[in-house]
Amino acid sequence: MADTQVPTPVEIGRANLFDIKVTWQDGHESIYPARHLRLNCPCAGCVDEVTGQRRMAAASVPEDVKPLGIQLVGRYAISIQWSDGHNTGIYAFEMLRKMCPCCRPQTSDNRPQ
Amino acid sequence: MSVTQEQVLKALAQVRDPDLDRDIVSLGFIKDLQIGDDEVSFSIQLTTPACPVRDQMKEQAAEAVRALPGVRRVNVTMTSQVRASVSQQAGSSLIPTIKNAIAIASGKGGVGKSTVSANLALALAATGAKVGIMDADVYGPSIPTILGTTEMPELTDEQRIIPVQRSGVAVVSMAFFMKPDEAVIWRGPMLHKTVQQFLGGVEWGQLDYLIVDLPPGTGDVQLSLCQSIPLAGAVIVSTPQDVALNVAQKAIVMFKKLNTPILGIIENMSEYVCPHCGAREEIFGSGGARQTAERLGIPFLGEIPLATAVRQTSDAGTPIVLSAPDSAAAKAFTTVAENLAAQVSIRAMQGEQVKVTF
Repeated sequence: MADTQVPTPVEIGRANLFDIKVTWQDGHESIYPARHLRLNCPCAGCVDEVTGQRRMAAASVPEDVKPLGIQLVGRYAISIQWSDGHNTGIYAFEMLRKMCPCCRPQTSDNRPQ
Repeated sequence: MSVTQEQVLKALAQVRDPDLDRDIVSLGFIKDLQIGDDEVSFSIQLTTPACPVRDQMKEQAAEAVRALPGVRRVNVTMTSQVRASVSQQAGSSLIPTIKNAIAIASGKGGVGKSTVSANLALALAATGAKVGIMDADVYGPSIPTILGTTEMPELTDEQRIIPVQRSGVAVVSMAFFMKPDEAVIWRGPMLHKTVQQFLGGVEWGQLDYLIVDLPPGTGDVQLSLCQSIPLAGAVIVSTPQDVALNVAQKAIVMFKKLNTPILGIIENMSEYVCPHCGAREEIFGSGGARQTAERLGIPFLGEIPLATAVRQTSDAGTPIVLSAPDSAAAKAFTTVAENLAAQVSIRAMQGEQVKVTF
């Protein structure tokens, strides 16, 4: 029932120990590598809200960073508790769909698209 | 009696729920079907006690079964069990005992949102639903005034707030925690904390509906609410004026961005009917909200007439659905409440829930 414009998942779970799998209402499946998601954290501490510049260095995030927990935020996003202690990012479904790795090519420095 | 269960169910399958657009047998409404010597009895379990078509459905069901050969008497009992709009995933919800949280919003102030919230809550409770009202209008909390409650809430041993009860509605308001001459002059984080406190820090108990009266506009409180819990949906209150509707649309855009279903628009302060001469006056215009609803493809929940008595009873703390239930305004509130309950049921049946299996 699409009276909202936001792409909506049906299920969010693990693809494996590191990666997150989102199954969407339209049948599409997205797999997000853990570090890629962590480096694209949209919180104000990680990215400048005005300029869009990354505020944290990729080197500050461990190579083996992984998600420890996921919660729904209202009906439009998830928040992720990371193994490096970071947890302030709210990942909106709309943003997640745009970030789907199989739908858009990643740039080599993992900047958000 | 020679009639069989299958025959009765087949007859009942002719009765449809117009809102859910399916027959009442496939919807699972028929319970406790018993065929005795003298009478066929069953109950119809609706998805809300405020179902707008409950009387018609009861009559249609009774007629359908009475028409069967050999049936002498039919006894139909109407019951209800409200379905939750979003799955309350254990351990992760601030309000696990609340089935449907409904935000009442407006684009601008002065459209009568709090009066509408209070009367809707009372109208829903009058049908037998378990209802709470959370007055999240921290800047101008008027729900206790409108409901006429002067009690203060108590705390449990664990410092959780026990809502004040008024005519079957559990009430929590910012006004309980402020003196009349105090103002709330806060920035975002305090507002966010308050919203979370009024959700997770209150002993709401089992509720079918929590009405959340929001401040006007599209700000921190609205965002915090939409982030803290999965809402069943939002209702927009507007006057018929174009100006009010244009601003109301902003609230609609906000909720759509936050993936919150729009349960409908209510046109408040609709036509004024003079109690002396019966002359009708469209002081704020008329019909605008219905047209906007149609244009945007969202449900129109109804019109509430502009009547002095509505304002007077709000000021006096004796809301019109309680103090003058036969008045046109009170009946309008009841109709709107039923339409709202129907919309909540429709969404709950569609069962769009995101499962987190992490």
